[in-house]
Amino acid sequence: MPKADAATVTAAPSRGRRRWLDPIKVAPYLFVLPNMLVFGLFTIWPAINMFNISLYDSTNGRTFRWVGTENYSELISNAAFVRAFTSTLFFTVVFVVLTTILATGYAILLNQSFRGRSFFRAVLFLPSLLSAVVVGLLWGWILDRTNGLLNVGLGALGLGQPGWLIDGRLAMGVIIFVGLWIHVGFYTLIMLSGLQGIDPSVYEAASIDGAGPTQQFFTMTWPLLRPTTLVVVILATISGFQSFDFIWTLTGGGPVGATTLMVQYIYERAFQSPIRYGLASAGGVILFICVFGFTLLNYLNGRRQEAA
Amino acid sequence: MSTTQTAARGVRPGSSWTSMGSSRTPALGLVIRYTMLTVTALVVLVPLVWTVLSSFKTELELAARPPRPLPAEFSFNNYTGALESFAFGTYLMNSTIVTVGATILTLVINTMCAYGLAKYNFRGRNFLFLLVLATIMVPLQVILIAVYQVAAQLGLVNSLWGMIIPPAATPTGVFLLRQYMLGIPDELIEAARIDGAGEFRTFLRVVIPLCGAPIAVVTIFSIMWRWNDFLWPLIIAQDQSKYTLPVALAQFNSQLIVPFNYILAMSVVSMLPVIIMFLFLQRYIVLGIASSGLK
Repeated sequence: MPKADAATVTAAPSRGRRRWLDPIKVAPYLFVLPNMLVFGLFTIWPAINMFNISLYDSTNGRTFRWVGTENYSELISNAAFVRAFTSTLFFTVVFVVLTTILATGYAILLNQSFRGRSFFRAVLFLPSLLSAVVVGLLWGWILDRTNGLLNVGLGALGLGQPGWLIDGRLAMGVIIFVGLWIHVGFYTLIMLSGLQGIDPSVYEAASIDGAGPTQQFFTMTWPLLRPTTLVVVILATISGFQSFDFIWTLTGGGPVGATTLMVQYIYERAFQSPIRYGLASAGGVILFICVFGFTLLNYLNGRRQEAA
Repeated sequence: MSTTQTAARGVRPGSSWTSMGSSRTPALGLVIRYTMLTVTALVVLVPLVWTVLSSFKTELELAARPPRPLPAEFSFNNYTGALESFAFGTYLMNSTIVTVGATILTLVINTMCAYGLAKYNFRGRNFLFLLVLATIMVPLQVILIAVYQVAAQLGLVNSLWGMIIPPAATPTGVFLLRQYMLGIPDELIEAARIDGAGEFRTFLRVVIPLCGAPIAVVTIFSIMWRWNDFLWPLIIAQDQSKYTLPVALAQFNSQLIVPFNYILAMSVVSMLPVIIMFLFLQRYIVLGIASSGLK
């Protein structure tokens, strides 16, 4: 209803001119056209077409054979995919929880002014500027079992030489750590901007009433920060589900698939032999449902808590 | 920093540990804060500083055990060697062309789109805006194959255009610019129209000059994204001559073709531009992240 009102309001000034092509009416379409053209071709259309491709089988991207939901049933019974799926869920959940906790913690540490604050803030943010490929490569070098800096150091201290990238469980821990190393600074800055939006007089009042720092955190900071936390959780979820670059150069998905996440599985099925476009697209659809489902869940949960 | 630290330490063993209430908080709080932040800073900086120092070492020095922190001499042999023995000059050039080209294209189409969405009432406006927003949830990684199909049909595979055009319509850019443009008073635009300026001229002469801050933010983000981009260029670049720097580093590192001392030097080269940009434009980056977080 209000939309219709707005339309009549803008139409009003042009009525006097009665020109066939009123610039004010045509201009907005011309302004959005280039962006929407690129966007439609390379985002909207592919997003729709992916569902379509997932119902076909193709080994070359030119000839397609209709198979219905066979790709999905094949994926569900494929051990490698199921493993990539559960690894992705595990990685993303741990990544999001730790990101949120660490970003909140660092934001609180960096919120008040003290000497060296801008230095620490810049250092914490630094990794999220760097190429994830390069970051993965460098950590792979540092964590190398026999020649890496870390194990050389640990060995010198007599602490043994853990196979960081060779033991599957350790490798999963390593990719979570490197994921956090890259991203936490970015989310800390978002949290920090949320903290700075809180009126300081709230704390003054609480201090006068005798609330200690812990009490202040749980009764005021945490609830007041909830909208910002929601943004961080949603962005971190999307980022967790799409993790690929740094893992590719850090572990390559190994050892024996222990750190292969869904994006890598999709990439390999689409671009490395044996090529299976339909199967890879079905994987993409499942990944999309995960991203969408988790985002919706977080959003609704955030709304409910805000309402309560 | 050190004075506050020692002052804090001096107080700690005495009253602050035992006494209750707010008197202990400042001193103990400072010690905890500096300890945690210093440990974090070391975790971030040690690998990076180690990388930079190692990029000046010879292969022999890199293999030496125990490793020495400093290279025997700061020679640029690894840098020149990588550029001379391998086509890293080409990869660097490709990365630069893609980054600059995509950023210009992004700025042009994102600002125009944001202006259309912010300052006009037209049928389908809200729908288009929601569509743009919703696709933040549909990252390229998810729709990879279908995007590749389009790129292949348009002949964009194995060309730098294929890395420039498809990612240019960034939803984040449209969103940030639109939010900012909503704050520009309509009267300014109306005044320009009354003065007889056409719609596009109004946009170019009146609106764009007012949008310096968000344009800076989108520029920085776009440079960061495109310079560091990996998965999309990896798929598009099928010949080595089309590799960007990250693609070359990842491929050569896994195939063990290029000596690791060269890989290290080129890794430093890939990190430098974004770090330099950050040092000079930190204010805008912080601003951009703050506004993307505030919704």
